[in-house]
Parts: sequence; structure tokens; C-alpha cells
Amino acid sequence: MTRARLWLDPLLASLGALLLTAVVLGALGHHPGRALLALWQGAFGDQIALEATLLRAVPLLLIGLGTALSFRAGIWNIGGEGQLAVGALLATAFATRFLPDVSALVAVPVLLLAGALAGGLLGGLAAELRNRRSVSEVLSTLMLNFIGLHAVAWAVRGPLQEAARTYPQSDALADHARLALIPGLGRVHYGLLLALLLAPLVWALLFRSAAGLRLRAVGSNAAAARFAGISTERETRRVMWLAGALAGLAGAIEIVGVTGRLFQNLSPGYGFTAIAVALLARLHPLAVVASALFFAALASGGGAMQRVAGVPSVAVQMIEAFVILISAGFAVVARR
Amino acid sequence: MPTVELCSVRKKFGEIQALAGASLEIREGEIHALLGENGAGKTTLMRVLYGLVRPDSGELMVDGSALTLRGPRDALARGIALVPQHFMGIPALSVAENLILGEESGVWLSSSKVVARAREILTRHRLDVDASRPAQGLGVSQQQRLEVIRALERGARLLILDEPTAVLAPSEVQELFKLLRELRAHGCGVVFISHKLEEITELCDRVTVLRAGATVGTRDVAGATADELASWMLGDDASVEAPSEGPASAGELALSLERVHAAGLSDVSLELRGGEILGVAGIDGNGQSELEEVLAGTRALESGELCVLRQPLAVLSGNRHHTGLVLDFSVEENLLLADAVDGGSPPVFRAGWISAAERRRNAERAIARFAIRAAPDSAARALSGGNQQKLSIARALAMAPGVLAAFNPCRGLDQGAIAFVRGELLRTARSGGAVLLVSTALDEILQLSDRILVLFRGRLVALPAAAGSSEIGAAMLGVT
Repeated sequence: MTRARLWLDPLLASLGALLLTAVVLGALGHHPGRALLALWQGAFGDQIALEATLLRAVPLLLIGLGTALSFRAGIWNIGGEGQLAVGALLATAFATRFLPDVSALVAVPVLLLAGALAGGLLGGLAAELRNRRSVSEVLSTLMLNFIGLHAVAWAVRGPLQEAARTYPQSDALADHARLALIPGLGRVHYGLLLALLLAPLVWALLFRSAAGLRLRAVGSNAAAARFAGISTERETRRVMWLAGALAGLAGAIEIVGVTGRLFQNLSPGYGFTAIAVALLARLHPLAVVASALFFAALASGGGAMQRVAGVPSVAVQMIEAFVILISAGFAVVARR
Repeated sequence: MPTVELCSVRKKFGEIQALAGASLEIREGEIHALLGENGAGKTTLMRVLYGLVRPDSGELMVDGSALTLRGPRDALARGIALVPQHFMGIPALSVAENLILGEESGVWLSSSKVVARAREILTRHRLDVDASRPAQGLGVSQQQRLEVIRALERGARLLILDEPTAVLAPSEVQELFKLLRELRAHGCGVVFISHKLEEITELCDRVTVLRAGATVGTRDVAGATADELASWMLGDDASVEAPSEGPASAGELALSLERVHAAGLSDVSLELRGGEILGVAGIDGNGQSELEEVLAGTRALESGELCVLRQPLAVLSGNRHHTGLVLDFSVEENLLLADAVDGGSPPVFRAGWISAAERRRNAERAIARFAIRAAPDSAARALSGGNQQKLSIARALAMAPGVLAAFNPCRGLDQGAIAFVRGELLRTARSGGAVLLVSTALDEILQLSDRILVLFRGRLVALPAAAGSSEIGAAMLGVT
């Protein structure tokens, strides 16, 4: 595949998906131009919309990077949602139960690390199941999602429930446990900057390090990798820890940067959307940035499309589905 | 059955002349053996006969009239069928469904009718299996039998069996022979490919020998001994000149295997010294790939000891595509693969990070030194077989190996690449390295090796010092 195709295919897939959606909307009697304009306005039209889009892009970018890493290693990790949940859970537990009164410069990194650790543990668990018991990571990560989500549901009704015991949610985080906001960008916090910095770092790890070479070798030809002396088990463990940590970090950032407290349904399925993010980006860490922004824009524009143009916001899911189908089509053509 | 004749068939794959004037005639009611070394072109010739490969030149005559096959369908229409060595049906479907696969008529299948018809077929062929059972429950021998029945039911009168006994136990081999003799009695023709000479003398009527893609000749099996067939197959010219330099003064012990037992290998012992090329001859499937995996560390030893006294040990895989290279990787990245295992070494790696400029320089050096026709960023997949092999060698030698274990290093290469690869092996040994050359090509072993061992059924057979090609050939074939 040429370098140009790497960027052109995802772009064409996104545009094609928008076009196909417009056709379908037209056929259903909607005004497709007005609907897509409303989608754009809802995603980028004003400061509020832009902030919402950027905030949504952060977890998609982080989990998308982890997904790209694990898929590159041939590990079909679809556990981002659960890893995000346990990341948010452990970060909240630290913040509301164990955090001494220290400066935000200490508190926030500790909370983010706690989130990454929890997500990494859940990812690492799937790796151990695969290495020791030959459990397919597709199944284990999928099912661990439910464990992570139910752990949150239990915690917000049990040990982490707010002092008032009214709602199934945690106490609000203290101010010194919150991420600072980027000046001039309203609600957008410094997590965005962190995620944007991690993208080139993950790129370098993947394409400019011995670890990345090993990881991709395992993904492209595990037999040749083993033959060259690479332990596929070790690479599986490492990449699952890393992917889990990135998702857990996303969870912690949601808590300390956006919501300020833990509750059920914290994530509108970021962990699952991130799979589409990574696939549209062709598992390329830098392209994941653009891809995450695209999916975030769809999510925040969908509501506006419903309000302004009267198009059900599920039309957004149609766009997402078209993107994936067209991308898959390109991949098939490229293989010929 | 029709009399089938293939006349001076030629076929080139890329740069490889797979068939260079191969001829074969099969008469009604005979079992015809096709004999030849690995890579002699037996399988390609059979694929031509079955319409899977279209020859560059040469003719297929059926009952005296020339014929062009556009595919297996045409071959089947003429009564020619290839019986696969391994079951090619659908394991999860029942025996009955497998039997009618491809010839079901109408839209709906009535399972009771299908089973009833299958029972009738099975009874007719006296194969005692339950037609409603999934085919995956059958043994290898029964599956093979099922394939034969499938071919016969499609009207096959000439059956091609490519090494059918390789997957069978001795008692099952006798069952198969019985079946083939019955077919012969009914006037069917059979082409029987095997390396096992005793099987040929026991079963077959005539034998055609292929060497390097060309037919050496055809003769009656009656009266021929296994010894005669062996020397005919390997050729007289196999007794080529001894290694040019003569055995170098034996250096220090570099690699030793002591009573190694592993799956597919039993009681393998060898000692390899610096400066020598130790040739291990043998026919494919006698433990070569197992030995390769043991040396690469991907197959566990059951007992015994493997000792590499001169590190590192580089294994040049006999399977470039599967274990040798990562085909999706560029030339640059494939060269780094072995080094990246422990974080890599300078100048390409610094603290585990790769310098893109040094990576490129490293690749350019290898490309120049080994005359690889590729750019540093070409995908390994896009390289020709010869260049892929040069790339593998470049990576192996980049490790400055104390021991180089090369498995079929010249398989599938053209003459120029072969000369290059052999030159590199000789050079490695001459500069003090220890080379283990495991090859199924006897002439290669004879040309390069200082000492020769034979791998037969997972065991290493030692030979007397003055063993010639006929003794080696006999040991390869298990003739004693």
C-alpha cells in the first residue's frame, strides 16, 4: 500500500459514508443537505459544540491508540469499554477515599496512573488467560467488559456511593483532584493535550522501537517472530497491559477532567466506538487523531441533527456503519 | 480407461524451470509409479495432468488425440482424477453430504435420500462407515478411501495418488494397496507417487523416473530391485566431485546434540566443529522441519541435550514464507528482526529506539553485499524467491553466527542464486564458522559437505567415511 492510499482511503470512506447517508435520508423524505449541515453545526458550529466534540475525542483517541497497538500485534482486544470503566473506578476510589490533601500537581497524576493501572490489570488478565489457558482474547475481553461495567454499578451503590446515599453515584471529587482546563477552550481540559502527545509517542513506539518491531512481527507472522526468538506470550502480555492502560487512563481522565464523579453509563460506548476509530485509521497512531475527531464529531453532531433537522440521531450510527463497511471494502480490494 | 500420454511437457514458474521435457504414458489397468527426488517435478506434472497447471509446451494425448485441459472439470470429464493426500472435503459435514458435494441436483436436499444414496455407494465400495456421521470422525485412511470413492463416483478411470502412504500407518498401507489392486483388476489406471522404493516394487507395474523436471525413462518394475531404482532416481552424476577444499582441519566443537528426543526426532546426536560443513541428507518429512524447530528453540526437547558452544546460532529456515521472513515487513525491518529480540544493538538501535537513518544504511549495506535486487523499503512479499532467500541469509549472517544451520537453502532458486547461496555457505565455513547443511537435494550435500549424515524417520544414520552416493541414497530410502 502506498503512503498516499493510507490517508486517501479513510478519507474516501468517511466522505462516501456521509454521501450514502445523505442518499438514504433523502429517500426517507428528509432534506439531506439540511441534515448534514445540522450535523456539522452540532459538531463544530460554535464554541459549545466544538468543546463537546473535543471532549468526546479524548477517550476515543486514547482507547483508539491502544486498540491500534493491540490489533497490530494480532491481539483482538475489544475490552476498551471495561478497561475504561475500571480505570474510572479506581481513580474515583483513590480520589474520594484515599487522597490526602495534596496539590493538584501531585494528585492528578496519581489518579491518572491509578486509572491506567486498573485498565492495564484488566487487559493483562486477558493476556494471561490467553497465554496460560488459550482463552481467545476476543471472548475474554468482551466478557471482562461486563465485569468492569458491573463493578462500577456495584461500587456506586456500595463502597463508593455518595455520603448522602441518595443517588447511585460517588461523591464529587475535590477541586485539587480535578484536571485543569485549557484557557480559552471552555470545558476542555489538559487531557486533550496529553492524548494528543501520546499519539506520536505511540507511533514512535510502534515504528521506531525494538518493542514495536517485535509487536508488529508477532501480528504479521507469529511463526516467523517465534522463529527469530521473540516470545509471543511476552509480547501479548505487554501489548494488552499497554492497551488496557490507555483505556484505563481514558476512564480516569473522564472522571478527573469531565464528570468529577463516578456513575453508571459514564461512557456512551467509547470503548466500542474506539474499535471503529482504530480501524478507520488503518491502525496508524497518527491517523487515529483524525479518526477520533471524526467519530467524536458524529456523536456530538447527531443530537443537533435530531433537534434542527428532525432526523433521528440514530442516523449517526448509520454513518458509522457505512464508514466501517467501506473501510472493510477498501481493505479487501487492497489485498487483491 | 483411456490410454493417457503426456509428451515432453515444459513448465516454468517465474525463473524456475519446473518441468523440462517430462513424458509419461499410463496404460489401461496398470499401477504406474512416478519416482523422483524432491523438486524433480512429480507434483507439477500431476497437476498438469489434472488441469490445475497449464503447461508452456507439450501435449496431453487421451486415446491418441491431443487435448487441452482448461481445469479439473475437463480432466474429470475425461475420467482423470487427483486424489488428495489429505481430506479435502468438509469435515463438519456428514460422510453422505461429502459424497454428493458438488453434484447435488435441485434446490432442496432431502437428507434421507442423500443418506440412502450414500449408503448405497458405500456398500457398493465396501467401505463400512456410518454415512450420517460427520466426516471429521473418520480416520485418515478412511478419509482417503472416501476421496477415492468420490473420484470413482464421478466417473474417474485414472486415479492420481500423490504420496498417499505418507500419512498412513503400515497396516493402512496394505489396505490401500488392496484397494488399488482391485481398481487395477477393474481396468482403472493409477499413478502412484512415493519415495518408498519397497512400496513401488511391491505394488506397481511400471515406473517412470523424473530428474530435474525431465523424464529419465520408464521401465517394468518386475525384476528391478530397490537398489537399482535408487541409483536410477538419484542418477550417476550425483557422485560429483568432493568438496573443493577438502575437510578443513577440524576446529573446536561448535554445536552438539546429544541423544535428543523430541516429537518427530529420536535419539539424534551430532557434533559440529568450526570450519566444517556437516551435510544432513534425507527425504522430506523424515524429521527435517522438526530438527529446524528444535534448533530454533520453538520445539521442546523431550530429553537429551542441545549445546551451542559457539554463539550465536543462526537458523536459516527452510520455509521462507512461513518462518523465515515477515512478508509484510520491509527489507529494512526484516533485517532487524533477530536483533530486536533483546532490544537491539547499536548503531541501529539506541536504548531500544530505532534510528531511521541507520536502519536504512544497514539495509543498503546488506543489499550491496548480498546483491539483493530490492529497495530498503520494498516489502519482502514483493521480492522474488531468490532475493527473499538472500535477504534471509543476510539477516542470518548479520548476526555473525558461530553456527549456521541452513535448511534447504537453495530450494526453489535459480542457478545464479544457487551458486551465490552455496558460495556463502562455503565462505562461512572457510572463515571458521560451523555450518550444518540440511538438504533434501543430494547433489548439494555431496558438493558442499565435509561429512555426511542421513536423516531417516527421525533418526540420524551415520555412514562409513568413504560412502558414495549409492550408499547415501540407500540410507535416505531406508534400504539396507
